Order: sequence, then C-alpha cells, then structure tokens
Amino acid sequence: MEKEATISGFYEMLEARGVTRRDFMKLCGAIAAAAGVSQLTIPQVAEAVESLIGNAKGNLYPVIWIEAASCTGCTESFAQVDTPDAATVVLEMISLNYSETLSAGAGFSLEEAKEQTIKECAGKYILVYEGAVLEGWEGQALRVADTPGTETLIEAAENAFAVVALGSCAVNGGWMAAYPNPSQACGVQQYLKKAGIDKPVINIPGCPANPEWLTTVLAQVILMEQVPALNDENKPALMFSQTVHDNCERRGHFENGEFVYEFGSEEEALGYCLYPVGCRGPQTKSNCGIVRWNRRRSWCVESGAPCIGCCEANPSNSGQNWVEVNTPFFKRHRDLRIGDFVFQPGTVALTLTGLVAAALVIHGFGMKISGRMDGGADFEKVRKWDEKHPDRAIGHYDVVVEKVPEDSEDQETKAEETEGGKA
Amino acid sequence: MAHLAHYREAHPIPFVITHWINLVSMIFLIVTGFSIHFPFWPNFMGVARGVHVLCGIVLLLNCIVRVILAFVVKSAPTGGTRVLVADYKTWLPQKDNRHQLGAWIKYYLFLKKDHPLSAKLGVPQKISYLAIPLLIIVMAYTGFSLWGPIMDAPALKAGVNLVGGLMSMRIIHYFLMYVFIIFMFLHVYLANVEGFAPTKLMFLWREHGGLVYDPDQHSIIGEDDEGAKH
Repeated sequence: MEKEATISGFYEMLEARGVTRRDFMKLCGAIAAAAGVSQLTIPQVAEAVESLIGNAKGNLYPVIWIEAASCTGCTESFAQVDTPDAATVVLEMISLNYSETLSAGAGFSLEEAKEQTIKECAGKYILVYEGAVLEGWEGQALRVADTPGTETLIEAAENAFAVVALGSCAVNGGWMAAYPNPSQACGVQQYLKKAGIDKPVINIPGCPANPEWLTTVLAQVILMEQVPALNDENKPALMFSQTVHDNCERRGHFENGEFVYEFGSEEEALGYCLYPVGCRGPQTKSNCGIVRWNRRRSWCVESGAPCIGCCEANPSNSGQNWVEVNTPFFKRHRDLRIGDFVFQPGTVALTLTGLVAAALVIHGFGMKISGRMDGGADFEKVRKWDEKHPDRAIGHYDVVVEKVPEDSEDQETKAEETEGGKA
Repeated sequence: MAHLAHYREAHPIPFVITHWINLVSMIFLIVTGFSIHFPFWPNFMGVARGVHVLCGIVLLLNCIVRVILAFVVKSAPTGGTRVLVADYKTWLPQKDNRHQLGAWIKYYLFLKKDHPLSAKLGVPQKISYLAIPLLIIVMAYTGFSLWGPIMDAPALKAGVNLVGGLMSMRIIHYFLMYVFIIFMFLHVYLANVEGFAPTKLMFLWREHGGLVYDPDQHSIIGEDDEGAKH
C-alpha cells in the first residue's frame, strides 16, 4: 500500500510537470539501453530512478553539485528548457543538497547544508563537479565561501561515494585550460590524483554535457550501486568509445565523397558531409548522433554545424583540451604555436617543400654551368683519406662499421674528418 | 662520360621489383592522402580511403621484405663492377666509406671539382636510405592509429596519448608525408642530374657502359663501352 501510494505520488509529480508515465518508461528504456543492461530490467531502472528522485525506501543518494571554473552551461543545458522532459525532471528532483545555481538558499545556510551532507552522508552521496579545477595562485584563482576551490573539492571528494566530473572543463580543464591558461586549470581526476585522493571519478565530457548522460550515470550508480563500466579515460564506455563519425547520419555522404565546401551552398542544402568545413567527428569519441540533444530533437550535425570536438578530453592531460586541439574549428587542422607565432601546419609544410624545390632548381643550374650534367665531373684519382694515410692498407666497401669503434684507427678517422671539414 | 658503368649486379631484380612497389604505393598514398586530408575531388573519398589503407599495408610489407632480402640477396658494392657482396653490407655504413662524407658534401656545394669515389651508395644517400625504412614504420604507426577499425588497440592508443590526441597524430602523419615528398624530390634529382643511366638500370634493368672500377684498389681500371653485354 505504502509503495503504491509512493509511486502514484511520484507520477503525480511527473504529471504536474507535463511528463506522462509513458514518457517516463521510455526514458527508463533509454537508460537501460545506454547502461548496457537488458530491456527486461526496465522496471528496476524505473525503481532506481524513483529512488534517485528521493521517494523510495531510504535508499537516497544525495547529490552535491559544485560549480568550479565553469560557465554554468552544463547546468543550463538541462535547467533552461522551456518544457521539462523526463530526464530533466529526474535531474531537477534528485536530492540536490547543494547547487550554487539551482538551490533556493544561498550564502551561509547553503554552505552549512553542504557541510552537513558531507558529514552525515559520508560515503553515500555523489559529487557532481562542473567546471575546471583552478590551481593558480595556490588555489586562490577560485575562491568560494572564503575557501579556495581546491580545498572545497578535496573535502567533498574525499567523502563521496563517487565523483562525476561533468563537462569537458571538469574532465581536463576544457576551454579554461586553453592557452595561455593563467589560472592553471586542470581536470578533477588529474587534481585528485595529484592530491593523493583515491576516489572513482566518472568523466562525462561535452560542452555542455548532455543531461541524458548524467541521468544514465546517476541511475546506474543507484541501480547497481557501483560505478558504471568505464573506458581507459574513465568515461562511461558505452557513451564515449565510438567516434561521432562512426554513428553520424551524414556518414553515407562522406563515403560517397559528397561534401559541403562552403556554408550557404547547394551542397549544404542537400545535407552533405561537413568534413571539409572542419568537422571533428572522425576524431571525437561520443554518442551524440545516437542520444541526440534537446529531448532528441536534433544535434549539432543534424542542425548543419560540423562537430567541433567538444567531447575530446583526455583526463590526464589538460593540454589536450578540446579547444586547444580543435581551433580554428572550420579548418581541417588545428593551429600550431611557437611563442607568439601561430600558423597552420599546411602552410609550413608547403613553404618548406617549396624552398627545397627552389634550392634544387638553383642547384640544377649550378650543375649545368659546371658541366656535371653529362655523367658528372671526372673522378678523383685517389681518395683524400687514402692520400693522407699512405701507410694504411686500402679498405673494402663491404666491411660494415662495427657498432662500438674501439681501435685507434677509428678515432683517427674521426679526427681526420673534422680536419677535412675545416679545410 | 665520366660515370661508372651501370651493371645489373648493382640492383638485382628483386630490388628492381621492391623499388617499383615503393614508387607506385608511395604515389598512390600521397595522392589519396591529400584527398583524404581535404577532398578536392568529389565522389572520391570511399575509393581514396580504401586505396590509402591498402597501399599503406603494401608499403609496410614491402619495406619488411626489402630489409630481409638485404641479408639474402647479393649485390655489387659499387658501380662499375660485377663483384658481389651481401646486400646489407652495401647498405649499412661502411668503415671505408664514411670518411668520404665531407668530400660528398663539398662536391654538391661546388667546393670540390672532381667527383668523389665511393661505394654504390654515397654517404648522404646511405643516411637517407637508412632513414626511409624507419620513416615507413613510423608512418604506418601514425596512419594505423588514425584508422577507425584499429585505433583503439592499446599499442596505438598509447602513442596517441603520448603525442596529445588524434589531431596531433593527424598533423604528424601529414608532416611526415612531406618528408617523403621532400625525400622524393632530392632522390629523383640526385639520381638523374648526372644522366638517366641509373634510372634506366633501376626501372628497366637496362645496363649502360662506362668506367670500370676496382673496388679493392679504389681506382678506375678501364672503360666498358659495350653497354648491356655481360
């Protein structure tokens, strides 16, 4: 009885937000698929999602959502939709004990709520960390509630059941870590490792992260009470192990060689592949083309924009942040930088090759003028080295140089070479 | 007519074949590589990628075969002679050749008037030919780590992480292609600038008369004007 009442209460809450029970079960099916479990487990998923929302059986997982160096885009990506969908409602209603943006409270009382959650729910809550960790100026580059951001992270992460690094900034610094990175931004996993805190970090990249990815991960943690299967970058394996290119709806046009070379062209209207205008799909691992965005209405490539690789984030290398490795977005290559000199790889390669070609042409004129083109110059009568060493036996061309020259003759040979070079 | 006679012993038939395979696959790789980097030609991408991967594998296998053959096949240590030695000995740096490096550089810079005597492969040539197999292996590694079906192999992924991601790997692969192009410019130029006889021997296995050389005495001992006769 109690259970029924709880469930009906739960569906009332959904309905009040314009989500039908059918929508909710569809979401659970999607979560089961994304988590790689059988569709038969949908009822368990539903139960897990309900408990995540906080209605069931004291199995509550509170969430602390800390914003570090972020643009709040990851929060916005699910909080600012005009009509809430099932996934948004789930995220809206988790036991979100602390969130700078979404909590009604602010200031001292909110900080106190956070402290309380950390103390009372130690080992049970999930820490969602949005934005980059700023190490600059001994952690003072980010200071919230009179505490350096790095200290806040350590305290919250130490006692968490698991840490979710949400968005590319949290994964490896993201655009916060792009050149010149004065605040020394880096990712959560990298920082915790350096600080010696051994806590599982689940990396969910993206700029912003897709709310469905977070929903799925939270549901998995509740459902299995363990961290979901992760790949070698600690990203959920089922979401971030294939490239955008692998699952792209325009892939057929790629294979056919049908491309958009210019925006506003006929090819663009035909929905051809965006590879020549800089699409990063072939080197970006994410399932965007499958889960899609904004309640599966569309996604970047469907809406006509090339992938800009926002999910590229190697958690152990903040220099490999997606902005650094992908800008300028509409070129096939990133820019390279030596000091203040910024250039495209192709320009340097072509210039160098052109110089070599020009040098050869000039050299060719030299060969022509010196009459060497018809068989080369006349051979020297005797090799200079033999001339200089009349006492030595003449060697053979099939005696290969020993790896470790030990005899004095070799050393003398070297000396002679140097001498010859000077002359 | 100052050059040495070009005898088939300098380039036995297996090496003529591996050289042809190198040339053809490199040209295919460069043309398709350019169009994979940026699809200049429409309706070509699928073909370009297939040909590129195939030629990459062919080039790598051919490189391995060529290195193994160097230990099996015998070839002449210099031009102008039919004396045979194990081919790898003509390939690796030779004790009695390396002191000619200065002479070669001076000759090419017009600082030395007469032509240096040397082994079949001059010192600068030897350096570049030894670098090419290494370059082919690095090129294959960078290429395979960009190729979707196998890019997740741990041995490839380790390299990708080392260089800072797939974009960096792509740029390295791209730059290395220009190393091949620059090598080909130099190679074609130096092989042909003093006459096309070496090219005729290498591609058509056609001999050409010239000076006869005694590799034991390092001196010109005569002249063979009889062309292809053995």
